[in-house]
Amino acid sequence: MKNQRFFNRKFVPAAQIRRLWKGMVISMKTVFINGSPKKKLSVSSYLLGIVRMLVSGEVVSEQVRNQNDHKRVLENIKDADAVVIGLPLYVDGVPSHMLAFLKEMERFCLEHDIRLKVYALSNGGFIEGRQNKPLMQVLENFCKRSNLEWCGGIGIGGGVMLNVLRIMFFVYLGIFVLNVVFAGIQTGNWLPMDAVQHFAKQLGIILFFNLGVFFHSLRMSIAINKGVGFGVKFTRVLLPSFLFILAADFFFVIISIFQGGIFKGWLAKK
Amino acid sequence: MKTIIHDLNEKYEMILKEKCQKIISANGKYAPCQGCFGCWTKHPAGCYMKDTLETVCRDIGKTDELVIITENCYGAYSPSVKNVLDRSIGLSTPFSTYRGRQMHHTLRYGKKEKLTVYAYGDMTDAEKETFQYMVERNAINFGFQTFEFRYLESLDKSEGIN
Ligand SMILES: Cc1cc2nc3c(=O)[nH]c(=O)nc-3n(C[C@H](O)[C@H](O)[C@H](O)COP(=O)(O)O)c2cc1C
Repeated sequence: MKNQRFFNRKFVPAAQIRRLWKGMVISMKTVFINGSPKKKLSVSSYLLGIVRMLVSGEVVSEQVRNQNDHKRVLENIKDADAVVIGLPLYVDGVPSHMLAFLKEMERFCLEHDIRLKVYALSNGGFIEGRQNKPLMQVLENFCKRSNLEWCGGIGIGGGVMLNVLRIMFFVYLGIFVLNVVFAGIQTGNWLPMDAVQHFAKQLGIILFFNLGVFFHSLRMSIAINKGVGFGVKFTRVLLPSFLFILAADFFFVIISIFQGGIFKGWLAKK
Repeated sequence: MKTIIHDLNEKYEMILKEKCQKIISANGKYAPCQGCFGCWTKHPAGCYMKDTLETVCRDIGKTDELVIITENCYGAYSPSVKNVLDRSIGLSTPFSTYRGRQMHHTLRYGKKEKLTVYAYGDMTDAEKETFQYMVERNAINFGFQTFEFRYLESLDKSEGIN
């Protein structure tokens, strides 16, 4: 029925036929573009990784850190059906190196008549997910100019904390494994219940903070798999803002002690 | 004190120079922010990249009035102007507070008077709306008490910039 209506339409763009064809015969291709300049441990890579796990078909990961990456990434999206752009929020908007990439991508997509579905995953350091709203609007405007289909995205608040939680997960996991091994060797009990309980509790807390992110990521993956729009959603680390601010202040004090900034006119007017 | 950031050519730079105390030419001859937060945690109010934007956060932090003249890019600043803004977050401190009922960083140099943005180039209505909203958000983020966004139909009218 649906296909019937589809072909009855007067104008059926080539890209849509290709998509339908690919959907039936070979798998869909989704390119995940990480727009964080960080080489490793960017929050964007974490968020893209979650959605990537849930998307079926061919999935490709790319990163744009500077102009040298443009050509490679653009060639890669040429035969893609959808792209998911992961972005850090910089001064309420798209980071400058990614604005430059979007301009190139607009030119490239118009030149090669590329029709893609565009999804976005953005995260900011501040706790309110809504602070990503202007960035989402910029991406929508970009899609309109580039003749691409804006499918929406998730704007996430408290990104830095998501990163800390991700690292803590692996630390807790490591400690848990050590506990099990030590208990096993010393007492012969390879399932020490107190360690299991302790780890389960820590895992529960991390999961709880991530619930909003996981929920929307799951819904977005379903939308990508179906090839439909998702709309713009906002979510955050599930923590009241005043507690988040305390945590953020604590975080920067610790980092600034280690990096030495606290002793170099930390808050001074330079 | 008034500072102008612009992405226009030298011809305009000459005109604009007379209208302010400090002029920052967004010529793109500098690196984009690498997101390390070193300007808060390692070498406060300075960047590890030794180019013309190394201490630009101090200039922007100290100004009372900031005027930005930029080409429109999807309802946002041109990449070279945005690069300057991204490299300016050292004008804040790593500490957080509420401003406009949302979380923001406290200001190293205190509150500033006014942010004015003039955007030129082809611009859709949706992009104008986005830009207006963006400037409002930036003003809160960087601690400006008031803001204004204006679309320049043609660059000749940049004469009217004051
Ligand atoms: C130059 C710069 C500007 C930033 N501006 C904002 C901002 O306006 N609002 C916000 O919530 N976070 C802001 N942040 C914080 C980042 O969005 C946050 O650290 C994010 O988690 C980085 O993501 P990534 O690890 O994927 O790069 C800014 C960070 C940098 C380096």
